[in-house]
Amino acid sequence: MAVFLQSMLSGILIGGVYALIGIGLTIIFGVMRVINFAHGDVLMIGMYMTYFLFTLLHIDPFVSIVVTIPLMFLFGAFLQKVFINRVLGALPQNQILLTIGMGLVMSNAVMLAFTSDYKILSTKYSSSSFNILGISISSPLLISFAITIIITVALYWFLYRTDTGQAIRATAQDRGAAQLMGINVKRMSIIAFGLGAALAGTAGALISPTYYIFPQVGSVFTLKAFVITVLGGMGSIVGATLGGVLIGIAESVGGVYFGSGWKDVIVFMVFLLVLLFKPSGLLGTSKD
Amino acid sequence: MRPFMHNMRGTSTLPVLLAVVAVAALFLLPNFVESTYALHIMILIFISIIMGSGWNILGGYTGQYSVGHAAYFGVGGYTTIILMQYRHIAPWYGVWAGILVAVAIALIIGTICFRLRGPYFVLASIAVAEIFRVTALNLKKLTNGAEGILITDIPPFKIGDVVITDFMSKVPFYYIGLVTLIIAIFATWMLQNSKLGYYFQAIREDQDAAHSLGINLTIYKNVALACSVVFTSLAGSLYGLYVGFIDPSTVLALDLSVQIVMTCIIGGIGTIFGPVIGAVVLVPFSEALRSNMIAQAIIDSGLVSENSGFGFFLKEQLSHAHVLIYGILLVVVILYMPDGILGFVRKLTSKRRKEAI
Amino acid sequence: MAILEIKHVSKFFGGLAANSDVSFEMVSGMIMGLIGPNGAGKTTLFNCITGYYPPSRGEIIFDGHRMNGLHPDAVCKLGMARTWQKVRPLAKMSVVDNVMVGALCRTNSLKKAREMAMEKIHVVGLGNRVKFLAGSLPIGERKKLEVARVLATQPKLLLLDEVMGGLNPAESEEIIQLILDIKNIGITQMVIEHDMKAIMRISDRIVVLNSGEKLAEGNPQEIVSNKAVVDAYLGGE
Repeated sequence: MAVFLQSMLSGILIGGVYALIGIGLTIIFGVMRVINFAHGDVLMIGMYMTYFLFTLLHIDPFVSIVVTIPLMFLFGAFLQKVFINRVLGALPQNQILLTIGMGLVMSNAVMLAFTSDYKILSTKYSSSSFNILGISISSPLLISFAITIIITVALYWFLYRTDTGQAIRATAQDRGAAQLMGINVKRMSIIAFGLGAALAGTAGALISPTYYIFPQVGSVFTLKAFVITVLGGMGSIVGATLGGVLIGIAESVGGVYFGSGWKDVIVFMVFLLVLLFKPSGLLGTSKD
Repeated sequence: MRPFMHNMRGTSTLPVLLAVVAVAALFLLPNFVESTYALHIMILIFISIIMGSGWNILGGYTGQYSVGHAAYFGVGGYTTIILMQYRHIAPWYGVWAGILVAVAIALIIGTICFRLRGPYFVLASIAVAEIFRVTALNLKKLTNGAEGILITDIPPFKIGDVVITDFMSKVPFYYIGLVTLIIAIFATWMLQNSKLGYYFQAIREDQDAAHSLGINLTIYKNVALACSVVFTSLAGSLYGLYVGFIDPSTVLALDLSVQIVMTCIIGGIGTIFGPVIGAVVLVPFSEALRSNMIAQAIIDSGLVSENSGFGFFLKEQLSHAHVLIYGILLVVVILYMPDGILGFVRKLTSKRRKEAI
Repeated sequence: MAILEIKHVSKFFGGLAANSDVSFEMVSGMIMGLIGPNGAGKTTLFNCITGYYPPSRGEIIFDGHRMNGLHPDAVCKLGMARTWQKVRPLAKMSVVDNVMVGALCRTNSLKKAREMAMEKIHVVGLGNRVKFLAGSLPIGERKKLEVARVLATQPKLLLLDEVMGGLNPAESEEIIQLILDIKNIGITQMVIEHDMKAIMRISDRIVVLNSGEKLAEGNPQEIVSNKAVVDAYLGGE
């Protein structure tokens, strides 16, 4: 039972970060109907940014997100303006291939610049943990979870309470109608991609004290982001939040009971089943 | 849409003649080329064309963008090699077993996944390939997990008591690759000029319209997948036998799936010679980078001194950058020539023709 | 003899009834007009008849076959073909290839299919567009291409969904003539159309749908003088 609770809890903690990744992808998909295959690579850029801020300028990773968030936002907006914007009307396959290409460029450019060596960002608290009722909690995971909650709340406030946020959600719901309503859809797309990149970058920053940092780390997270968003229903922000936590728990608990080698198989099986039988996501109502 | 078909149909004998000359030249090539490296590149190009042609049937003609074809490449390769290494079944039987297994698996997956369309199908195809990769990593008894299988030796190929080849040099692989690729191209040409080809393209253009015109989508998409997988699996077996080693991170990786798609996209999808052009452009380029030839050439040309920091950097790092070039090519092609090199050239020539008028 | 019988067909989406309890029959060789305001459930009915989704209730009998649950490809093979309100050309294929795809429903030989296709292309008057890419045609010719393509499947019953939509008067007139020609070959047709004058001219009988229900059925004269129809539909225009 303790093992179960332990894995459950670490699942929830890491699930918070997954939720950020998933929300980023789902906002991009919602607003532009583009599946961003470079999402994990954007996260990887965030990790490297955090790493260098820490090693060169000695800024704590959890503090450095105040720098990472705006920089990653700009990076995302740039990607949208220069690349994605040109294929918005193209075949979905071509959009996917474009983002795959962008991802390859990012990961391999980073590899070229910083080699493919694994980097470790070790802070004083990287491996520290404390016990509550016999369950050990990793401090960096707990801090990152707290930050995740703050960011998620801020994001919800932005999306549901501000005009821009509502315009983004309106665009996500029906791009054509939003345009007719006088919403500047192009601007919303840039903001959406910026937000998506900022969220992925933040997730990267938050996990950098606990993960190896290397150029190819992104692909794992890209795949996870797909699973999370499909599970929650493509384009649904609430869905992605829940999907992230769910996948965090499933991985953590699945890893304990099925062995870590097979847990990915289980995750992808679930993914396929959802795609096939409930493509609108676990929460979604099916519509054509 | 189909200039090659019209040409081949006999309005002009020139292209047929050219093709015959090219094939004859390729058959004679090993007699004149001493360099094993040149043969190596040629064999890699052949394998790339075979797998590209395979994907092209499903992705290019039928419009079902699988980004998980590494699954079938890997299943073909693993089946052949496992049978050879552990069951002592000669590869010229094992290759067929590989095709059978890959097609059988493909039909099960196809029946399930072809209900999905557009981006959802792409995601499902990736998920399937990942399941295969992770499974191969975990089924250590069968696949030797992440360490992969090293082929100790391939039994000599005999007819009766006469040894045809003992697979000691690259030459037998060259000819096997060449013959297979000619079969692949011929099969694509046959398909294009058949009812199947028409149905595949109709599905690509508009699934609902195709459905209403009497085309059973599930059946014909699965037929396209099966045709496609035959060549993908063959390419996988050939690759494994040629390289003498197989492991999940090379033959079942997402990178390979992307590379298969790219070969076609860069050449021009849905055309017979698209994969040929894609492979001829991509393979030598990435091999040249991989083997540091380009870095050396830059230094030799005097642009960058070998002893300078940048020269050192190039020599050290450029060989790792072949995937970076893939990425850049992919971005450029999608943005500036979404119909591939063939489509781009055709657009240029038709523009010139219009200007001439 | 009835070639098509619609018996108490209903179609629900979620809780909404797009069609409820619609019944009528079509006699071989006739042209049936299907009219009604936007959202009356005309296209839904087409989709139910041609197998895009099964009706929630009721039965559809075509040429002695119960059609419920048949897929569109099977429906086409039985001899019922439909066009689309929003045309669906196979854009990167030529005109003749488009029509051949239809013809291949009846033959496996490309040569035969090409002959059949050329014949239909001439019937609709696209003889000078044979090698053009379907995607390059203007809307009027796309509509004709769509008709040629379904004719090539050798249907007994043809369902035309707004083939005159978006056309200029001259083009509409050509389509009207085409529909009458098709009638003369002996093919039964059901036609959805917004142009009232056209529908009155070509139809032998008319069914009026309103909010998913059948409001009226009769010959054109009866329909124009039907008070419920005038109130619900014609009056609302």
